[in-house]
Amino acid sequence: MSSASPVVTAQRATGVRLNVEQASYAYAATDRSAPKFALGPISFEAKEHELVAILGPNASGKSTLLTMLAGLYKPLSGRIEVDGTEVSQLDLRVRAQRIALVQQESELLFPLRVWEYVLQGRYPHGRRLRFESQEDCLFAGNALAQVGADALRDRWMDQLSGGEKQRVILARALAQQPSLLLLDEPTQHLDIGGKLELLRRLRKLADNNRYTVLVVTHELNLAAEFSDRIVLLHKGKCLRVGPPAEVYDREMLEEIFEAPLEVEMRPSGRPRVILRGSR
Amino acid sequence: MSGCESGTYPSQPKLALFARKSAAVSLALSRGFFVGGDDLNQAACRRAIVVAIAAALSLGATLGASAKPRIAASAGLQTATTAASRVVTDDVGRRVIVPAQVNRIVTLAPNLTEIVYALGLGDKLAGDTDYCDNPLEAKSKPHVGMPQNPSLEAIVALHPDLVLAADSINRVDTADALARLGIAVYTAGGDTQAVLTILDSISRMAELMGAEPQGAELVARMRKRLDALHARLEDRPMTHVLFVVWEEPLITVGQNTFIADALRWAGAESVVLSKRNWPQISIEEVVRLQPDYIVFAGSHGETAATELADVRSRPVWRDLDAVVVGHVVNLDEESIRPGPGLVDAIEQLARDVHPEVFGEKSENRNSNGETQFALRSAFESAMECASCAH
Amino acid sequence: MRPLTPRRVALNCALLGLVLFVVVVISLRMGAYPISVADIVKTLFNGVLRRWEAIAPEFTSVVFNIRLPRIALGILVGASLSTAGAGFQALLRNPLADPYVLGVSSGAALGAIISLAVSPQTPGTIQFAAFAGAAATIAAVYFLGRRGGQVDSATLLLAGIVAVSFLSAVIMFLMTMLPGRDLRGMAFWLMGDLATQPRINSGWLYLLLIIGVGSIYAASSDLNLILTGEQEARHLGVNVNRVKLVVYVAASLLTGLAVSVSGAIGYVGLLVPHLMRMMFGSDYRILIPASALGGAILIVFADMLARTVVAPTELPVGAMTALVGAPVFIYLMRRRVR
Repeated sequence: MSSASPVVTAQRATGVRLNVEQASYAYAATDRSAPKFALGPISFEAKEHELVAILGPNASGKSTLLTMLAGLYKPLSGRIEVDGTEVSQLDLRVRAQRIALVQQESELLFPLRVWEYVLQGRYPHGRRLRFESQEDCLFAGNALAQVGADALRDRWMDQLSGGEKQRVILARALAQQPSLLLLDEPTQHLDIGGKLELLRRLRKLADNNRYTVLVVTHELNLAAEFSDRIVLLHKGKCLRVGPPAEVYDREMLEEIFEAPLEVEMRPSGRPRVILRGSR
Repeated sequence: MSGCESGTYPSQPKLALFARKSAAVSLALSRGFFVGGDDLNQAACRRAIVVAIAAALSLGATLGASAKPRIAASAGLQTATTAASRVVTDDVGRRVIVPAQVNRIVTLAPNLTEIVYALGLGDKLAGDTDYCDNPLEAKSKPHVGMPQNPSLEAIVALHPDLVLAADSINRVDTADALARLGIAVYTAGGDTQAVLTILDSISRMAELMGAEPQGAELVARMRKRLDALHARLEDRPMTHVLFVVWEEPLITVGQNTFIADALRWAGAESVVLSKRNWPQISIEEVVRLQPDYIVFAGSHGETAATELADVRSRPVWRDLDAVVVGHVVNLDEESIRPGPGLVDAIEQLARDVHPEVFGEKSENRNSNGETQFALRSAFESAMECASCAH
Repeated sequence: MRPLTPRRVALNCALLGLVLFVVVVISLRMGAYPISVADIVKTLFNGVLRRWEAIAPEFTSVVFNIRLPRIALGILVGASLSTAGAGFQALLRNPLADPYVLGVSSGAALGAIISLAVSPQTPGTIQFAAFAGAAATIAAVYFLGRRGGQVDSATLLLAGIVAVSFLSAVIMFLMTMLPGRDLRGMAFWLMGDLATQPRINSGWLYLLLIIGVGSIYAASSDLNLILTGEQEARHLGVNVNRVKLVVYVAASLLTGLAVSVSGAIGYVGLLVPHLMRMMFGSDYRILIPASALGGAILIVFADMLARTVVAPTELPVGAMTALVGAPVFIYLMRRRVR
């Protein structure tokens, strides 16, 4: 890359992938009325091998933040950088080479096989009208293996179960070879087994394959169990950033989630949240 | 099997080569059922592609050759040279190069076929349309299709010297296409608003086809009959009629049509005054206007009696004054054409709506037979005169 | 894993091209004018070499002035409509979309009627007027169908439906109000008519066809992605708005082109892309060229039947395309299900 500033070099040395500095956003119902929703300012960092959870109740601005991180919204103030470059200034394809956003559902119009679907993830790497190369096939195959969906390769997309489909969607994101993997409430439609499996897989991807994973969620315990760092949002404000043990303060959580809660520390050093009085 | 353990981040192409060999997943049916992928023999592929390219190129070449119509080459279609042909302007303003000697005629409308026969030129008629059935001999001539959409090839196959088109029935595109093929096409009709204009058109066509004397004679005869009729009806008030072109929806004729003019010659007037040619009106309007007579232009099989019975069975219609007293006239639709049969129709109609003048109206008379007879006699006299002219 | 390769695309297109060639040859042979294959070949041969004197003038007339132009027009119209149909199906995310659903043909019909009423005797104007009507409708529907300055598929579809209803009403009104004899041509225009040749040199029209199909083809990778979801496509780096705009304009112009020169021939734009999907799959990188060629084949074949089945009476092409296409469609559907 270019001759970077000392800050950037320092960041890269420590493996900082994502740097969010005082980023804020707002949108209004109409142009002239008061801002309907304001987000930020938010600051945090995410490094290689890290799984960061963006946590908060509904309508706290998590998805908006994620869309900003994906580069689709330009922050009104502050900066968001991935690998040292401002995200919203990146060319579309270059951005897709660095950042992959995993959607929750996929609505296919025409029948498609799993491997075709995953192969589409190679689109950012190459010309606009392109035919996939052997290298592309390799990366797609690897992505399928990383999510443990190799056996699903020849199946039709519309014949997959919910969990299988999500793995395949994840595989397509991985085929992009991103530095940053963004997931928006990925556990919503899964049962408890599915949730655990997904988070374990994401954890493994972060640990072994050097991805930086950002997961937007409102699941307190999953976030506590699997993430390295938590960004706690409430009504568009960033309340805390830090490891789960530091962030999970009972009073604050009760206020945010509007429920009687109890936080207990487990031997692993990670907190667990339960409803009060349910013992 | 990807040949890649999940612990390594895929970044080295070398690994890729190994991985490819072991990724031996082959699909029986990749997509659809037209395989044709990498399993095929390379040489066969290449041959197929070369053949296809050759085919495409030859296709392109021939299409390219046709991009500009070869009008110059096909001018030979016209048998006459410039010396023995002349330029006339047809009824719609198109300049037509007509050979001096017209031996093969193709007509594109039924009324034109009738005119050709009435001028005694039936032998020279090389082809007509599917709808040309009057006179009966016309049915056995080679057909070129429907008037609205004739087959250009069929016309070319008949080697015509002259093609007659009717402005009221044929499309401009047809005449245009024929002209571009170098075939002489004369469009008759134009703004056919008056019966006398039709007579003029007939005499012009006669002159065009080298049948001037027959044409003059036919037109003169028609004119005489019209004048005689006019004389008899001069002092009579116009009968108010409703001319029904179509029943559902109810469509009648506008003031500017030749039918309206024909009505006037028959001493009748349409109760509906409209600038549009085929105005659609509601039955309520008819109830309000209460015409004296209702005129239908029915097909061959219907007689005045059957038409009357039919109208009497319909609600609203049966309560009309005209229907109640049986003042329903049925004209043969074939005679309501801008052609030689029109005068017969006018006379027929005059007889029907002015019984006080002609005194012979009878409900049960078969008006069709009358018209057929009249038409045939017109042809026959034309034939006689044609033969006596030689 | 066997992805689509350029070679496979080329091979399948060559196959279709061959079928087209055969259909063209058969179509050249059939017609009301009796002319043997040998004579046709001689005529073509000499014509390509521009040796007009060597051919009988009537052969020239029939082969080069009647049949070939008609076949060429059929290829143009078939390819345009099918490609446009495939494009619209992706753009509107609707497998039932056909090229006329956004009002292009209604606008063209209105232009045609107005020109017939204003100057019925000048044959060329109807085509220009039809194209003008189509272009105006394309622009209007686009502006109606925007949402937040971007092309939104659902809104566009609604705008198109509104346009079709409104324009149809206006057309019906005009047809009742105007003098009847001027509108004779409309019936044939509405049914589709390949007999009338375009007024401008076909070369230009073919150029437009290539540009239109080429634009859509250049976006075929993008379309594949958009079909799995617009947001997903955006996240993969597709410039979704630009692609939708390009496809909209290209597909609409192709439709306008076809409709202006031959009237509204139905079923081709809807049937052919689905037929080609059944045979070659949903990947637009092969679907676009396959649709173009498939459409050309269908129209040329159907037109040949329309000309010859009850010669010399000519049937409307639009009816024949349905009669030919539907059974093939049913057969393929049943094969698939089994």
